[in-house]
Order: sequence, then C-alpha cells, then structure tokens
Amino acid sequence: MNLQIEADGATTYLVPVGRIDFDAAPAFQQAVERVLSGAGQTPPTTVIIDGAKLEYVSSAGLRAVLLLARAAQRAHIAFALCALQAPVREVFNLSGFSQIMAIHSDRETARSQSQPPRT
Amino acid sequence: MVAVMPGPIQRAAAAITAPVHALADLLLVRRGPYARAFDNLILGLIIFSVASIGLESIPGLPDWAAQALHIAEIVVVAVFTFEYLLRIVAAPNKLAFIFSYQGLIDLLAIAPFYLVGVDARWLRALRLLRLLRLLKLQTHILESVVEQRTRELAEKNAALEEAQAQLKAELEVARSLQLAILPSSFPARPGCEAAARMIPATTMGGDFYDYIELPDGQIGLVIADVSGHGVPAAFFMAVARTNLRELAAHHPDPGECLARTNDALCAQNPLDLFVTVFYCVLDPQTGRLRYANGGHNPPYVRRAAGGVETLSGAGGLVLGAMVGAKFPTHSVQLLAGDRLVLYTDGVTEAFNPAEQLYGAQRLVDEVHVHGGGTPAALVERICQSVTDFADTAPQSDDITLAVLTWGAP
Repeated sequence: MNLQIEADGATTYLVPVGRIDFDAAPAFQQAVERVLSGAGQTPPTTVIIDGAKLEYVSSAGLRAVLLLARAAQRAHIAFALCALQAPVREVFNLSGFSQIMAIHSDRETARSQSQPPRT
Repeated sequence: MVAVMPGPIQRAAAAITAPVHALADLLLVRRGPYARAFDNLILGLIIFSVASIGLESIPGLPDWAAQALHIAEIVVVAVFTFEYLLRIVAAPNKLAFIFSYQGLIDLLAIAPFYLVGVDARWLRALRLLRLLRLLKLQTHILESVVEQRTRELAEKNAALEEAQAQLKAELEVARSLQLAILPSSFPARPGCEAAARMIPATTMGGDFYDYIELPDGQIGLVIADVSGHGVPAAFFMAVARTNLRELAAHHPDPGECLARTNDALCAQNPLDLFVTVFYCVLDPQTGRLRYANGGHNPPYVRRAAGGVETLSGAGGLVLGAMVGAKFPTHSVQLLAGDRLVLYTDGVTEAFNPAEQLYGAQRLVDEVHVHGGGTPAALVERICQSVTDFADTAPQSDDITLAVLTWGAP
C-alpha cells in the first residue's frame, strides 16, 4: 500500500494505492494521523479518502478507517470517502460502515457535502 | 578393550606429571582469573625485560644496578622457561608447538641466556625478539577477549531462544484453548444435523462459531470474525462469545440480542477491535429461521428443491464499533432438506499464489454442486476446495464454515 496525499486549500485528498490489509493497516493509519495532525502546519478542515486506486480492504483496514474517522471527529475535521471501487464499496456495505460514514460517488460531491463537525 | 595395569614407573611418572598438567590447565588452557593473572605477569615481565636492555646499555651504570639487572634477568628467564615448558606440557601436539612460529619465538627469547658462554654480545640482540613475544601476547589477549565476548553473546542468544520457545509454547496453549471453546457437537434434534470447522491462520485469529441451546427449545447458531489477528483478537473473541451466549438466553429476538451484545462489547473494548457476527435462531419444530446480521458475510441457503439463495436481509454495523447500533431481525422459512451455509471471509478472501481471490462464486458453486450430502461432507468439501485453490499461498486469515440441515421432526 502506498498513500498519495494531495492538498487543495483546506481540503486534503488521500489516495491509497493497492491493498489495506493486516500488514498495511498500521502504516496507513499512521500516515493519515500525520495528515490529521497537520504535520506541523495548520491541519486541513476536510479530509477525503479517494478510493479510486484502492483494490482491497480487510477487516484490519476497516478498523483503521474507523479509528481515523473517530480521530477526525475529535479534531473537528470533516471526514469522508469517495470513488470506492465496487469490491471495496461492498465491504463497506456489508460491515455496516456505510451507515456510519459519509461515502460519496466522487471528489466534488464529497467536498461540497462535507462540513466539519461542530464543537 | 584390555585394561593394562600401570607398572611402578608409570605410576611414579603419573604422580609427577598429573600436578604439572593440572597447573598448565589452570594457567594456560582454562580461561579464568588465574590464567588472566598469569598472562598479565608474563606481559609485565616482557615489558620489563625489553626496558632492561636499554638500561644495560647506559654507559657508566653503577655496579649495584648492573647486578640488580642481572638478577632480574635470571628471574625473568626462569619464569619464561617455566612458561615455555608449561606450554609444551599443555600442547596437544608437543612437536608441533615446539616448531610453531610461537614456540620458536618463545624458545629464542630464553635461549641466549643459556648459551651466554658462547657469545654474550651478539646474542643480546636476539633478546629483542621478545618484542615479537609482546606482539604475540597482545594477539593472544585480544583473542581471549573476543572469545569471551563470543561466549557471552552465545549465552544471551541461548537465553533469548529459550524465552522465545516459552512464549511460543504459551501461544500454542492459548491457541488450543481457543479451539477448545468451539463446540464439538450440535444439540440433538430430530431431523436437524450440523457440522462446522475452523482452520486457524498461521497467526492466532479471531473466528468462532457457536451453537446455543435456548430455554424454549430453539437453537441459536453463531458465526463471527474478530478484526485483526493475534492475542488481542483471541481475547476479544472470547469476550464476544461469552457475552453473546449469556445475552441470547434472555433476548430471544436475534436483532435485540446483537444490539445488547454490541453495547456490552463497546463498554469493554480498550483496543477498539470489532467483530462481525451473523446470529440466527432456528425453531426445530417449524423450520422457521430468524436472523440478524452485524456486518458479516451473508450466509447461503441451498434449497432442496434447487437453487442457492443469499440471506441478504439488511444488516447492521459490526459489533463493538458504536454504542446504540440497531440490528434488524429477518426471517426465512426452511423446508425439509434445505441447507444453511455460514462462513467467514477467510473462505471467500483466500488468495492463491497468483494473488487471485477464491471469491463468492466458487463457494456458491461448491454449495450448489456438492451440498446434497451430509453437512460434514459439505464442510470438508469446501475446506478442501479452498486449500486446493490457495495452494502454496500462506493462509492469512482463519477459515470457518458451519453447515446446518433441517428436516421436519
């Protein structure tokens, strides 16, 4: 798994490439946590995970996403996913994660519908 | 072997050589405080001896000093001779030692003293050969230091290996305990038959299945998969199983039971793990199956009349992720000879060496084609199909299957 990070104003897009499985989940989680903390600069107000290049998510990967969603909420950063490929989308539906997370069809929709949680 | 009685001469020789061998062993062979002290003594004497060559060549040296140096020389040579002889005694191959580079240097360092009558002046130059001994001793000391460090390292390695072996043994015990809490038989009901199997992954996993006898004669059937691997997953699995078992007795509705279990798990989940659970309750009298799904792969029903259906009634969230999550209860009517097939994603997400997934379609095909026999036969058939498919690829997740067949009592 490789994570591409694209900052666009106050919104940061994260593009995981490959698989988030048991082996890749800790590195993925750490990389996203660094983004959420701002890595020394002003943290973004919105973080969107773009799943266009994400091929597979295991249960350990789901756990990482869940922990990141909680961390974002604590930091008052809007957190959403978009452009998930069909097999990954299926995993989010099956696990019920699509009921508690914002999942959008593309970046534009995700950006326009994401509001940072109020304090 | 013939034992030869030693004669008086051999006995006398042994009486002399035995203590000498013991001394050689103590001072030269065995690494210990005595050997180190002896090494240091020799080293000191060499340095002194080399320095005394310089002192002797000082012009106008007083007689008493020259005499003191001469006495010192006798002592030094005596010690060196003693050491030389001891080394010959200690050497396994004495001739090899005498003619070795070291042996010759040792001999040349003392020979001038004994040959002094022949020509004292030029042989004095030979004493500088003791410098070579100095170099030799230094190498020797370095070697012994390296040897000691190597030994210490080996000891630490051995201790580490022992600790690791112990940890591994304890993990083995934990793993067999984990397997032992899985039920081995299905509650006896006329017309009902079930079989299940869990093949644990190489690391300790968190899959489990369970049969629960409910107070009203109904039977609860559980299949579940804890996120992650290792000891944390195994513990969370044990907690999840216990909670579900206890709550099932008080909450006959499967959705309500999962909601209560979820809340209980959220309250005791320091590592933020979660578990996917499919829970169903079968009425053995009527074949009615009520079920609720907490984020688990939906099971299949193979109809005796033909066709394989998915129990895809809307599910809820995985358990342990969010307090207050709701789980809708659905129901399906089983007919005589229908088979219910529960599985975890270790089945459908098994990879082969070419990194292809086993996938749901292969599973459905197996159920469709080979589901007509006993539940045990179908469980074996699917396990074999998955392990054949995975071939040499390592098994990264637990593989769990449970099959139930219902027939009117």
